[in-house]
Amino acid sequence: MKRVSRNIDLDSARDLLERVPRACLCFAREQGPQAEPVALVWQDGRYLAGLPLHADGQPESGQEVVLLIDEGVHFFDLRALYIRGRLGAASAATGVLSGHTWFEVIPFKTVAWDYGTLREVKDER
Amino acid sequence: MNVDDPAVFAILRRCRVARIATLSRSGRPSVNPLYFVYLNGRIWLGTSDWTLAARNVQADPRVSVLFEVERDPGPRRVLRISGRASVRTDRKGQRSYNRRVARKYVLTPGGILHYLAHLRLLRLMHFYHAQSAEKGQACIIEVTPEHVELLPTEPFG
Repeated sequence: MKRVSRNIDLDSARDLLERVPRACLCFAREQGPQAEPVALVWQDGRYLAGLPLHADGQPESGQEVVLLIDEGVHFFDLRALYIRGRLGAASAATGVLSGHTWFEVIPFKTVAWDYGTLREVKDER
Repeated sequence: MNVDDPAVFAILRRCRVARIATLSRSGRPSVNPLYFVYLNGRIWLGTSDWTLAARNVQADPRVSVLFEVERDPGPRRVLRISGRASVRTDRKGQRSYNRRVARKYVLTPGGILHYLAHLRLLRLMHFYHAQSAEKGQACIIEVTPEHVELLPTEPFG
């Protein structure tokens, strides 16, 4: 049995971490879900996310978050890296913007996709 | 600020991919990039009813959606709309959404050129959508804005 997959391995999405076309962080607040654009630095394999100091509501260390890095407009150009993890406190990444609160996203699930690589794969469900 | 503000409308008109943040029944966050159209003060985002985004909205209607004009030569501007959402599966709404999405994403010079450049993948795209349809039906996440804000512009990562 075969199915069509958009998923790619993380190495194939590494350029998204180097270029960071757009990145946002999602977390829960009492008022509901919050999406915040973030500065992202991928340093020594660590995901360092910087929220502007004036961001409306900061997440807490230890909180579950999703970090999304994505790009593209047209269907076959759509690519993304979806990282679910927990926040750890981090000092400012070296050589990056000031005026941000920095967190490390410690991943426990990561998925990458690229619609330009649609292909048939063996269904192993 | 509301969605009729010219600065807000300009972003909604030019942005192509929205990122919608949702919560599961147990409060776990998720965020997904989706195509959308703006219609009569509401945001319609297209997905399928089996996806995490749709299931989360059914469990908790509160959403936070980011919009940003891709390839904007000007300073980065991000619009955030928070509000309540519902999942629509009615045929009339879906037909209306499909027409608007075709006009916005496909029937444009850039869209046509894109699909022509990827002719070899169209068969797989068809199978991919058919595969999704086996798991559930196409749906619209309809967002009613409650809070609209232009986030301060700063250089990001």
